[in-house]
Amino acid sequence: MPELRRDPITGRWVIVNIESPLYPSDFHIEPHKWKGEEGCPFCYGNENLTPPEIEAIRLDGGKPNTPGWKVRVVPNKYPALRIEGDLNKRGLRLYDMSNGIGAHEVIIDSPYHYKGLDELEDEEVQFLIKAYRSRSQDLVKDRRFKYILIFKNVGLSAGASLEHGHSQLIALPMVPKNVSEEIRGSTRYISYHERCIFCDIISQELTNDRERIITENEKFIALSPLSARFSFETWILPKEHRTQFMDIKDEEIPYLAKILKEVIFKIRRVLFSPPYNYIIHTSPVNSEEPLGYHWHIEIMPKLSRTAGFEWGSGFYVVGTPPEVAAKFLKGEM
Amino acid sequence: MPELRKDPIIGRWVIISTERAKRPHDFKTVQSGPVEGECPFCEGREDHTPEEIFAIRKEGSSPNKPGWKVRVVPSIAPFLRLDAELWRKGIGLYDLIGARGSHEVVVETPQHIANMCDLEVSQIEDILTAYVERINFLSRDDKIKYVLIFKNYGWEAGGGRVKHARSQIIATPVNLKRVKEELEGSKRYYDYHERCIFCDIIREELDLGERVILDKDGILAIAPFAPRFPFEVWIFPKKHSPDFYKLTPEEKKNLASVLKEILLRIKNLLNDPPYNYVIHTAPFRREHRGYWTTIEEDYHWHIEIIPRLTRVAGFEWGTGFYICPTPPEEAAKYLRGDK
Repeated sequence: MPELRRDPITGRWVIVNIESPLYPSDFHIEPHKWKGEEGCPFCYGNENLTPPEIEAIRLDGGKPNTPGWKVRVVPNKYPALRIEGDLNKRGLRLYDMSNGIGAHEVIIDSPYHYKGLDELEDEEVQFLIKAYRSRSQDLVKDRRFKYILIFKNVGLSAGASLEHGHSQLIALPMVPKNVSEEIRGSTRYISYHERCIFCDIISQELTNDRERIITENEKFIALSPLSARFSFETWILPKEHRTQFMDIKDEEIPYLAKILKEVIFKIRRVLFSPPYNYIIHTSPVNSEEPLGYHWHIEIMPKLSRTAGFEWGSGFYVVGTPPEVAAKFLKGEM
Repeated sequence: MPELRKDPIIGRWVIISTERAKRPHDFKTVQSGPVEGECPFCEGREDHTPEEIFAIRKEGSSPNKPGWKVRVVPSIAPFLRLDAELWRKGIGLYDLIGARGSHEVVVETPQHIANMCDLEVSQIEDILTAYVERINFLSRDDKIKYVLIFKNYGWEAGGGRVKHARSQIIATPVNLKRVKEELEGSKRYYDYHERCIFCDIIREELDLGERVILDKDGILAIAPFAPRFPFEVWIFPKKHSPDFYKLTPEEKKNLASVLKEILLRIKNLLNDPPYNYVIHTAPFRREHRGYWTTIEEDYHWHIEIIPRLTRVAGFEWGTGFYICPTPPEEAAKYLRGDK
């Protein structure tokens, strides 16, 4: 019999197919032909094909918008939001609206066109995380922004429009709905239990014969959440209670780089390099700190097509139970 | 300047890009051609599905034999079952319950036709009758809180490999999150204004006109103010009613005709794209924690149609914040046939 499981944070129910789980070979992933390096705006030598860079990590002190960078941040050529202007919140009779103020940046992960994140050197992934942090720390100074969202789309069906590995940052003038739900759920929990729900999940998973834990190191843990929405969904959390991603310390970055690389490697190995998304879930900025919130990264391989049921209900049907997914990712199956 | 718009019902923000607005031909839909084998849903092949639980039949025909117009069968891989125990348990801080419910497939036509818009209006009326009858039946199980009716047309919209028109019915023992958000939003509005927010939207849209697509015989189709997807369409009865399954024979006929017309326009305009539709209706009124009594007045059933033209990426998943590349005013122009 399948099970319904409730996400303890948002209260969202999911259906888990525990009887006949889907295995990696059950997922049909459409191959896609990219154009390759030629004319790629993210490769060395093509710096003039992007808007001028906002920031870059260059070890040899080279000039902006020339080759030699390790990570490069540029404005999105087709931004969903604009940085100039006022928010101008207003009512339009029955409806509420505002101008689309925000920042939309592209972070080019590395100079290598074909390398997946797991194929980069540890140090290169550390540069990427440092770029995420430094862009966040810069944008937070703009008081109009209430949320800084960092995410990555890999593969066409996960929404990537270019093959060369890149991440995106969007600074928003309001807190997005899913984040406020997570915060509401964790605030409810901390006000009753006086403990962080994410810390409790980590300690429960560590004691529960570790069946959903994929890997861990000194500072971070990766697990398959009990009420995953997607098959092989994976979360990476700092073991210590931390509300804000951009407060990550220098000495923690190598551990995050290591576990992120490791998890992406496992997902790509087990699922034959699927399209995937990851999203850094962190606290809002320029507003009160939600004490019960715990930042983390959610990684979602894109294996199935979401259909009318998911859209209409906010209720997800998960083909692979997280316990089974964890076994595969750990290499036990 | 792009715009941010807030859905007045559940409070979800969307980004509308006004300048680089995408036109219908900007969306290419690839017809990935899953195999069209021997179709288990065609007339004469009734023994290829589980036994029917409901059918509209020509007089004198018998169950699981030819002679039907619409046929409802259990899903071959149901993830919820009526015979399942509704147990509840907690494991540490996690909650689990048994998968009580129902998962049914409505076979919309005996002929091998893929898109509902290619059926006769009277046939669509029969499909709506099947929906209503099934909701009535499922309402008798007091463990069922909600019945969701939806359609996945085309591969990218989650449709199956067999190109034979059908929709799905899922009855659940819990209230669904999106439904709850909508209900809570409507209640919040009603508590303050003492009016139904949908009735207000209908008045507002009729008054403005720019997002109206079709206004015919008491049924209204609009492009919503804050859509999540390009060319999203909502269809409402203009007369207030919380429950889809209480629709009158007259309304059913009019709805069938508007539904066909809208689906046909979407097909012609957007090159037969994959799409989903979902019927949004009030849950069964059962006494439970958090039950409220104004639902009769504050909620208004409707159908949401989503052509699947864009890929939902990390941003949308992570935030519940959608980027809609076609302003609804533009979409409405196309769907009205002004452009």
